[in-house]
Amino acid sequence: MNRADPRNWGIDQKLAFLALVLGFLALLGSPSPGGAVTINTRELADIVESEVDHVTVEELADWIIQGRSDYRLLDVRDPKSYAAYHIPTAESVELRNLSDYPLYRNEKIVLYSGGGIHSAQAWFLLRAEGFAGSYILLGGLNAWKEDILFPELPADATPDEVASFARRRTVSEFFGGKPRTGTGGTAGAAQPSEVAMPKVAPPSPVVAPHRHAHHHKEGC
Amino acid sequence: MMAPFYKYGLFGDEVSLILAALIGVGFGFFLEQAGFGSSKKLVAQFYLTDMAVFKVMFSAIVTAMLGLFYLSWAGLLDFSLVYVSPTFFWPDLVGGLVLGAGFIVGGFCPGTSVVGTATGRLDGLAFMGGVFGGIFVYGELYPWLADFANSTAMGRVTIDSWLGVSKGLVVFAVVVLAVLGFWGASAVERMMARREVEAGT
Amino acid sequence: MNPYLAGVGLGLVLLLAYVLVGRGLGASGAFSAVVAVIVNAVAPAHAQSNEFYRGYLENGFGSPFKSFLVFEVLGVAVGGFLSGALSGRLKRTVERGPRMSAPGRIVLAILGGALMGFGAKLARGCTSGQGLSGGAVLDLGSWTFMIMVFAAGYAGAYFLRREWR
Repeated sequence: MNRADPRNWGIDQKLAFLALVLGFLALLGSPSPGGAVTINTRELADIVESEVDHVTVEELADWIIQGRSDYRLLDVRDPKSYAAYHIPTAESVELRNLSDYPLYRNEKIVLYSGGGIHSAQAWFLLRAEGFAGSYILLGGLNAWKEDILFPELPADATPDEVASFARRRTVSEFFGGKPRTGTGGTAGAAQPSEVAMPKVAPPSPVVAPHRHAHHHKEGC
Repeated sequence: MMAPFYKYGLFGDEVSLILAALIGVGFGFFLEQAGFGSSKKLVAQFYLTDMAVFKVMFSAIVTAMLGLFYLSWAGLLDFSLVYVSPTFFWPDLVGGLVLGAGFIVGGFCPGTSVVGTATGRLDGLAFMGGVFGGIFVYGELYPWLADFANSTAMGRVTIDSWLGVSKGLVVFAVVVLAVLGFWGASAVERMMARREVEAGT
Repeated sequence: MNPYLAGVGLGLVLLLAYVLVGRGLGASGAFSAVVAVIVNAVAPAHAQSNEFYRGYLENGFGSPFKSFLVFEVLGVAVGGFLSGALSGRLKRTVERGPRMSAPGRIVLAILGGALMGFGAKLARGCTSGQGLSGGAVLDLGSWTFMIMVFAAGYAGAYFLRREWR
């Protein structure tokens, strides 16, 4: 029997041939998208309009205090600003490194910058790449300073506001901030930008940027 | 949504455990079908008389590798979500040597020892006991071994990125090497069989 | 079964694992979970202060046994039994070479298992995990590992010939 004649091939030879063909075709392929994405603009516009694209600073503060590990917090400012101060549990990722940064598409990813512009741009980039769980921190670091670190209790506050302020004071102190009680005008109270930013000593065990530290062991 | 479906939240943790069991059943089934419940058959690989270990392992690797590559190419699988274990070069190398020694001395590997035990092999059961012991020793010695065990970390690196070539090229090379290997392995088996006949055994 | 067909079958199961759950097969991890649980039951403070055991005790699921690998290995036992039963390969025996005694074989099986357990933890996987699964994704460490496993097996074959030939 002539083994080289395909008609006489047994299962072994057929499998080997199939494998070689597939292997050869693989030379033509490139599995990674390499930066090109498809965007559904209508879908993205809907998300923005229905306001499910953001997380408030109060919510974030709660998550951090609870020690939750089901989110990633990304600071998209430059590394110097990050080093000077960043929200606890935040990781520093610049916009241009965002595509290469190890993120999972089923994670909650919260982005913040100083105000909201860069974080909004980062949000768009991530959404375009299919990260459906990305959110903007509404108001960014400015809102964090205003509402969390240095919450203000106006002199003419109602009893309800005084009561809720007690809680905001606890939260503020948790993060090393300084609650302000106003004197009725802006003249007397120190502005957030003038008060020294708290040292970046994380109040609770810092979630390791690598999610595996808290999630299922995936090794053998 | 693409594969891996669990990473996209298609189903939860409990379902993933059930899937794990079902996948295990398939795994054990084919291991036994290959004859790997038998330590004698497994070890014959190292005496060149039966190269099934090589043939089975590498045809499995080639099959899964081609599947992952083509699914990824077709946009049906997100390879960035697939688990690639971190490479620790020297621990991987030394661990492999120790494991190989365990293989030839004990006649099994952890997976096949379970299959062996499930099909009645008492040596498989003894082997499993040994595995527990070996892991225990490692655990107890871990404080002293940790430095070595965590050394030469290279992160999650694949051969294509390490060589700086395209994945397709490595896939092709692996397929070619595997097919050549299969052909060579069969040739070795035939040669050893001839020797046994000539030796009159 | 034809080894190539068995291999393709195995490869498809492995592929299914990757497609469904994003991870490959494995075995040694399940054994480690058992060891960690036992050590923790006997000496909890010791287990929890040891980084190795701790890794298997905390896995985000609650119980260390509620892990992918433990369930998978249980499945392996079932699948192996089914295949053996269907193929008539169920046999209560101690497999060994013609020159080896059963008790001696048992001792060597235990010893080999111990070496294998130790090596598997050092390499962070065994032939199923590092070998098959890591091999399929072209993991550098896995391929290095596998080459070494075969090398050691062949190197040791001469010294162990009494056990098998």
